[in-house]
Amino acid sequence: MPAFVWALPPLALLGLVFLYPLALVVQQSVRPDSGGTSLQPYADVFGSAAFRDALGTTVWLAVGATVGCLVLGFTLALVIAFVPFPGGKAVARFIDVFLSFPSFLVTLALLFVYGTKGMANGLWTDATGSTGDGPFQFLTTPWGVLLAEITYFTPFVMRPLLAAFSQLDTAQLEVASSLGARPARIVRRVILPEALPALAAGGSLVLVMCLNEFGIVLFTGAKGVTTLPTLVYGKAMLESDYPAACVVAVVNIAISVGLYGLYRVVSRRAGA
Amino acid sequence: MLVHSRKGRWALWAVFAVLFLPVFALPLAVIVMASFAGHWSGAFPSAFTGEHYEAATRGESLDALTTSLLTALGASLIALAAGTWAALAASRLGKGGRRVVDALFMLPVAVPSVVVGLALLVAFSKPPVILNGTSTLVVLAHAVLVTAFAYQSVSAAVRRLDPAYEQAAASLGARPAYVLWRVKLPLLLPSLTAAAGLCFALSMGELSATVMLYPPDWTPLPVRIYAATDRGAAFTGAALAVVLMAATLLVLFAVSRVRTRASYR
Amino acid sequence: MNSGIRFDSVTVTYGGHDGHTALDALDLTVEPGEVMALLGPSGSGKTTALRAVAGFVRPASGRVFIGDRDVTALPPHRRGIGMVVQQYALFPHLRVDENVAFGLKAQKVPKADVPGRVADALELVGMGAYAKRYPRELSGGQQQRVAIARALAIRPGVLLLDEPLSALDAQLRSGMLAELARLHRELPDVSILYVTHDQVEALTLADRIAVMDRARLQDCGTPQELYRRPRTEFTASFVGNANLLPVAVGEGSVSLGGAELKVATDGVAAGAAATLCVRPHLVGLGPGPNALTGRVTEVQWRGATHRLFVEVGGQVVKADVRELRQPPLLGEEVVLHFAPEDGVLLAAGVRGG
Repeated sequence: MPAFVWALPPLALLGLVFLYPLALVVQQSVRPDSGGTSLQPYADVFGSAAFRDALGTTVWLAVGATVGCLVLGFTLALVIAFVPFPGGKAVARFIDVFLSFPSFLVTLALLFVYGTKGMANGLWTDATGSTGDGPFQFLTTPWGVLLAEITYFTPFVMRPLLAAFSQLDTAQLEVASSLGARPARIVRRVILPEALPALAAGGSLVLVMCLNEFGIVLFTGAKGVTTLPTLVYGKAMLESDYPAACVVAVVNIAISVGLYGLYRVVSRRAGA
Repeated sequence: MLVHSRKGRWALWAVFAVLFLPVFALPLAVIVMASFAGHWSGAFPSAFTGEHYEAATRGESLDALTTSLLTALGASLIALAAGTWAALAASRLGKGGRRVVDALFMLPVAVPSVVVGLALLVAFSKPPVILNGTSTLVVLAHAVLVTAFAYQSVSAAVRRLDPAYEQAAASLGARPAYVLWRVKLPLLLPSLTAAAGLCFALSMGELSATVMLYPPDWTPLPVRIYAATDRGAAFTGAALAVVLMAATLLVLFAVSRVRTRASYR
Repeated sequence: MNSGIRFDSVTVTYGGHDGHTALDALDLTVEPGEVMALLGPSGSGKTTALRAVAGFVRPASGRVFIGDRDVTALPPHRRGIGMVVQQYALFPHLRVDENVAFGLKAQKVPKADVPGRVADALELVGMGAYAKRYPRELSGGQQQRVAIARALAIRPGVLLLDEPLSALDAQLRSGMLAELARLHRELPDVSILYVTHDQVEALTLADRIAVMDRARLQDCGTPQELYRRPRTEFTASFVGNANLLPVAVGEGSVSLGGAELKVATDGVAAGAAATLCVRPHLVGLGPGPNALTGRVTEVQWRGATHRLFVEVGGQVVKADVRELRQPPLLGEEVVLHFAPEDGVLLAAGVRGG
């Protein structure tokens, strides 16, 4: 029996429960409720301010969160890998555990820290004795989502980075420092170039995951923050406007799958 | 070691602590604190109580935990079976064929989970197969979402597997099926359990596709947590979240015990 | 008995039709009960030849026979071979006895016979006391013995050994070499194909040696033939590191840098260019027949012997002589000699490859 025959059953299953439903979404996106086949749903959705806002918010949040994750993740991974301290292994393990928790837990926690009645505002009112609301009211704005996304997705950058750092030849660092290079220079000239593929791979993965993030935005409970995934949810579940939901879904798929393809190329180059 | 001066090291560690603790450790600590709080209006919670846990471990909340565990179990078993089969089959294909299978099985990672939920809703709300409003559809959605991770970790393990074992077995007269069952699968067991643990954890926390699909009688824990916080019962939500984390950790721990046993044999 | 191996013009290429040729039209027969060593440097095609017998590579052309059975199209598990590879490939999840029983169970040997045959195989390699250990609890040499027991338990007609000693240290290696020789005496019917890059292993163990280089068979013969009468320069240099000196052929003698040397010239036409092959340990210091005068360029002390490098007519001649009280100085003029019967003349163009 030729080898490809064995690949057929799982592919058929995947086709039935994933590819076929996805195709139906694309099909439904060009079938307005009025019947027939037209691009009218696309025109309607692209013309609406809600969609354009959501698209803009989604993209800037994803880009901002990715940049934040890269900076924070690189810094933290650098310390763990090259300035080792007791408990560093435990921190690395903690990061692995953190990855297995759902994203919305972060938003839930931030509610207690920065929410209207949360820890930070509590500290403020205790300290100043004022009776009004505290100064931390950003949680229901896009900034709250940004903070939550950076918190949750940073470990996704750290993991490939730590793997890349562990393969870095420490002799290289010793030679560089014996030649009189200062730490900042070593980081810039030796470590950063080695880490670049891992950074690129981790960064593009985080970008895709931020574009698709739903739980964090939903838990923020902010009517002001709408991203493409929450728009899909809103159109389908709250407005029962399936064609519109499908149009938004198709746009979201196009962006994410495109970027994911890029990630696959980058990470194959990086050997990850 | 990059920084040689004692002072410099302590400074860096301080920076690390300032960045790491509030960002990663604080959220988890706060949730645990909140789950015991009776009241929180100042800097710290007060009137500690266990009543949120009482609420979180009975009635509908207990059902939600059972639902989540069953869903995760079903989804990870399906994902493990499909992912392992696909990874093993892909390893026997040529380069081109393997790339196609790789791309198709990793695709669910790229597609937003909400869209996966929507797609299943659209596909199975009409004949020939109507699953709308059944627990099957929820399990199926979770399986679709986590299969990619099972596929990924098993195919990485298959690639690392030394072909000498398979060849030695074949030279001893073992047919391919016997080799698969007695040599390859046992050698892959550590990776299989790791993949199962990962799938289970991801499924336990799945919210995005679930909110599109869940029927009222099959409400997983994340949806309960959302419902609790949404109606203002944040402390109950926190207690439920702790239950969710504890259950996930317990399963991961059990799986890692199995894995250690399997790899030290 | 299903024994003996025959390669009938077997060609193996990797990477499609115009790919790299790993084995080029190999014709070779391993007689029943014979130990054949495939000797050659890495990349010479020797392992490819073994894998073609095992069935892990499919020849682009030619046939492979085991006994009188054409196995070219058979999958590995239906060939009835025993194989031991460099890293042993013991199954890490099975105990030693389960490893040895693996092939018996896979071939559905009656359940009642399995324990006895496992015990016999382990006894044969002296590992009976380790039946309940896991492979990771054994040393390299012990794993090697288990791998051999596992291959022999299925009572194969042919045994394929792929660099079986290369993962062991030097001392263990010579012990295992003696062990393999003993095994072969106890199992006189089993044909053994032994792949190695180590000439000592090949010379010690093999009934015949097939010398491989660049995907081709260069030479085949008994160890004595190959050592004393190599037919190609490659064999001469790979088996026992000979002096290879370009000479002009005359009538019953050759000339090297003006010196006339008496050697057998049969088969080489007078006036042609040829290569003279002399083993360093057969070259003596001082006057004698076939004397060569030259200057010492290097002296290496090797304990029991001295190796002298002497430049004669633009060629460097190596001589291994018994340890000297007074080794010659660098640049000193010395006389070397060798007996006419110790020189082998290789016609030019017999380079192989």
